[in-house]
Amino acid sequence: MAMVMTGEVQLPASREVVYAKLNDAEVLKACIPGCEELNKISDTELQAVAVTKIGPVKARFKGKVHLTDLDPPNGYKISGEGDGGVAGFAKGGATVALTEKDGGTLLTYNVEAQIGGKLAQLGQRLVNGAAKKIADDFFKNFAATVTAG
Amino acid sequence: MYNFTFHRPTTVRQAAGLLARNPEGKLLAGGHSLIPVMKQRLASPTAIIDLSQVEGMAGVEQKGRSIVIGAMTRHADVANSTVLQQALPGLAAVPGAIGDPQVRNRGTIGGSIANNDPNADYPAACLGLGATIITNKRRIAADDFFTGMFSTALEDGEIITKVSFPIAKKAAYEKFKHPASGFALVGVFVSKRGSDIRVAVTGAGANGVFRVKSFEEALKKRFAAKSLDGLSIPATGMNSDIHASPEYRAHLVSVLARRAVAKATA
Repeated sequence: MAMVMTGEVQLPASREVVYAKLNDAEVLKACIPGCEELNKISDTELQAVAVTKIGPVKARFKGKVHLTDLDPPNGYKISGEGDGGVAGFAKGGATVALTEKDGGTLLTYNVEAQIGGKLAQLGQRLVNGAAKKIADDFFKNFAATVTAG
Repeated sequence: MYNFTFHRPTTVRQAAGLLARNPEGKLLAGGHSLIPVMKQRLASPTAIIDLSQVEGMAGVEQKGRSIVIGAMTRHADVANSTVLQQALPGLAAVPGAIGDPQVRNRGTIGGSIANNDPNADYPAACLGLGATIITNKRRIAADDFFTGMFSTALEDGEIITKVSFPIAKKAAYEKFKHPASGFALVGVFVSKRGSDIRVAVTGAGANGVFRVKSFEEALKKRFAAKSLDGLSIPATGMNSDIHASPEYRAHLVSVLARRAVAKATA
């Protein structure tokens, strides 16, 4: 099943700084909810392990993160796909756009996500909310990192 | 089949010790959320710590102006408690409306609120009465306890032991049941205790249980269903799934809030 989410955060930093942080593996690792490992394979490809914990469900996803449509400092697309073993699979991407606003940067994101397997079967009642929470948490963590410098 | 160790502590202290020694362990209360996901392999805890043999964790009693319910008290026992039915019938109606008899005979109040399922009934009662959640470490006000879908203020190693509900003069719960699961598509708990008016909603919000301040303000002037005439809440932030749209859920919130106030004042 597929879902779409959008959101925005205002950041107190220039677009150049925000863009650099969006490409920094250490920053991404700290911001992806439940991220245990994030290793750079190349400048645009990373290997990730993340644990998703939603209520009683706990699944560990292994997968790849790609950075595409690089357009510094206006934005890029971050996408990933993960295999959660028996839990199923998840894949999704976020188009991130940076615009100047109020002396800082307005980050808007458009997330598309898809899940399949048992997670989708069992979690239909909750999947939308859970995916939105993960996306919101990521950008909330990111905003905190940028604010902290 | 995968292996896990099974523990049956008899005191809260033992349970907390086992939890500390098993970081990948899980507490077992009624098991209605944990066991199905374990069967589906969507969770594989290394240890199960069953709370059913812990002494002093079940029962309903009146202490002064409060009703104190042990965390392991089954829904059916709360619903049938004569102490509760006399002191605070609006609260007794909540577990009485959960699921079906099988669920009510196993499920517990502590398990329900620790899980904080966005469609569960008890979170609405806790928030709607301004309850205090008591753990092995501290006391947490319901307003601070529910922090979003499936998340609570509970820390690792913390175990809910009791929930204390102040006795409100007027209180009632109205829910629109999902016909198959019995879950609240939307549920609204209202209460009036002196000047403290509360309207708490479960099932509707994408982020779990929440209070409706605009309804509470209107009810402060006069605690009557008529006070809510013409009031509604926006559909933004409402949950959306195959069962109901955000607009429909928002609509149900105002309908059920009026019904709940009418029931509380009848």
